[in-house]
Amino acid sequence: MDISLISQYFFHAIIMGIIYCLMAIGITFIYSIMKMINWSMGEFYMIGSYIQFFLLTSVIGYENWFFGIPLTIFIVFLIGMIYYRVLLKPMYVRGIERKDDYITIITLASVILFRNIMVVFYGPYIYSPKDYFPPVNFGTLPINGSKLVAAIGTAIIVGIFYCGIKKTWIGRAFQATAQNRVGVQIAGINPYRIDELSFGIGCALAAASGALLAPVFMVFPTNGAITTIKGFTIIILGGLGSIIGSVIGAMLLGFVEVFGSAFISASYRDIYGFILLLLVLAFKPKGLFGERERLV
Amino acid sequence: MIKMRIKIREDAITKIQAIAIVVVIIVAVIGGVLGYFYLYQKPPEEEAQPIKIGVLCPLSPPGAYGVGQFIKRGAYIAAKYINEHGGVLNRTIEIVVEDDAGTPEVGVSAAEKLITKDGVVAITGQYHSSVCLAVQDVCEQYHVPLLVTQASSVKITEKGLNYTFRPHVMDPDRVKFWYKWINERGFTRVAMIAEDTDYGLGLKQYCELWKDELAPDIELKIIIVPMASVDVTPQLLEIKDWNPDLLIDACTGATARLVVTQAYDIGLTPDVPILGAHDFPLEPGFWDSVGEKGEGIYFIGYYHPEMNLTDFGEEIRKMYFEEYGEAPIYAALNTAGNIWIIKQAIEQAGSADPEAIYQALRTGTFVTWNTENVKFPEEEGIYWHHFRMPMIIFQLTEVGQTLDDAKIIFTG
Repeated sequence: MDISLISQYFFHAIIMGIIYCLMAIGITFIYSIMKMINWSMGEFYMIGSYIQFFLLTSVIGYENWFFGIPLTIFIVFLIGMIYYRVLLKPMYVRGIERKDDYITIITLASVILFRNIMVVFYGPYIYSPKDYFPPVNFGTLPINGSKLVAAIGTAIIVGIFYCGIKKTWIGRAFQATAQNRVGVQIAGINPYRIDELSFGIGCALAAASGALLAPVFMVFPTNGAITTIKGFTIIILGGLGSIIGSVIGAMLLGFVEVFGSAFISASYRDIYGFILLLLVLAFKPKGLFGERERLV
Repeated sequence: MIKMRIKIREDAITKIQAIAIVVVIIVAVIGGVLGYFYLYQKPPEEEAQPIKIGVLCPLSPPGAYGVGQFIKRGAYIAAKYINEHGGVLNRTIEIVVEDDAGTPEVGVSAAEKLITKDGVVAITGQYHSSVCLAVQDVCEQYHVPLLVTQASSVKITEKGLNYTFRPHVMDPDRVKFWYKWINERGFTRVAMIAEDTDYGLGLKQYCELWKDELAPDIELKIIIVPMASVDVTPQLLEIKDWNPDLLIDACTGATARLVVTQAYDIGLTPDVPILGAHDFPLEPGFWDSVGEKGEGIYFIGYYHPEMNLTDFGEEIRKMYFEEYGEAPIYAALNTAGNIWIIKQAIEQAGSADPEAIYQALRTGTFVTWNTENVKFPEEEGIYWHHFRMPMIIFQLTEVGQTLDDAKIIFTG
């Protein structure tokens, strides 16, 4: 195997890791705040890819793709908040008591609903916007321009998200709600409002991933399925609720999959991630960065 | 004592009441019997009730719902043509469509519903081999003929089921055909990326089985990927490292197209040409999703607009274009052909009874969209009830080309 090919594997592993982490952060963020798993996360990825495709083909044109991404993020943020208010908020019966089985049913049913809505609106076809950027050559290494854009875009979004959580008032409110939902109410924070925002942000992160990757992984009703599975693998690897864990877990998964394919066999690519997951869980049952919870 | 006797007489029904009750019961029984005969009894066939034919195809995810739409269209066009030309046995054809979602269990329930609730006399339209393998057992159980549209696994006919008939191409036919072309073109290192379905695994099996016999001079490398993969770059990088001179794309749906785009992105194509194992480059939206990355692609197809079709095929082609504003693809034509075969079987049997249709299919000769001598021989092994469709290798050389512009490269 020559150095050029190893560099291609290496670069691809980094790109896949970065791409996986957006989806995983979205899932883990919602879980941290709301203590719920959004099973329809992949569908928000899919909606993001469709909205980006619609904006580029019918509203702003391909040359303005960079406006399309924030616009898509904002639209899906709003969709996520509406989804929470209409479908998830009724799960709270009295104060902080809620029906968890309700969430599972609603989010799983949404998977089927959203996929079929897209079949109704866009037909059974597979679409793809044009590449955001022409191919780039690093020496003899050809790199798809859209993948490069997706990697850089993801790094920027994760950076903004991390700063927002750590440095702003609302970020602290998110952290506080994640730590103690009863306590934040005493401090004057409305946890339902925080839930609504966090669900919108989580969905928007998935949509950002969908919009950035639309030219790479194409636009079709089931394109979110794989990324969701990877997302769940990553949050277990990194530790439920840990954002740093999601980033590290995503990079690890990217590398294990790509280099397992390179040095063992590409046919078993999906197995490598699960072997890694089993190994991590055997030694650290809470995941790499998971913390022990103490419930009072 | 007297008082008591009087009371008993007051509780008992009078003679008039008894007669009234008997009359009401008689009227109810007669009414019920007459009602049954007039309202619920099946009318005799002469009363021109439509003959229902079931179309079972993928219309929603995770099935190949794109192809399912064409299967449905082909069935409707054929039924329209038949009905406009007097129907069959003085009855019209009615198409009942069900979605199998590309999932065996959904397909089984849908087939049972078509047979037991809708009362279809035959079923056609199968695309996914895995679904077809489950559905054919239901058809066998209820003695309803199944005409397969585009499911190509050998197991479907190898099972030797009585009520399954397949006028299509099988994996071994495809493999034999491309080995001929590979030998003619002189390719020596052939890589194949195949999905983990009956389709992809069947192609892998026959590629390996017949390599020494049909193409002993070539080296072969096969990689299997999950059906719904969105990233096949690591697999393609492994293939690139192996230095092939031909890449066979044996995937379906979005994965087939992702192989095309991602092979281009890593610099594998266009130096190494791609051969599509079926006609996915003709599916609508192909060029929108792959752009110039798909230029030069070869693929196996079954139909070209310049081909001589039967009269029925020509009419269907014309009607399809008028109805949908585009040329039909193979899935639509073959489904239409299957409806036409069922119509001929009904005529030959002189009855729309599924058992009679089955007997006619076993022994008769039929016309379909591209040929006039369709027979379903009871050969042992994989060719049981199987009619071999001719194949062609095409090439698309520029973005936006359709089948009309496709170059015919090889006809075997």
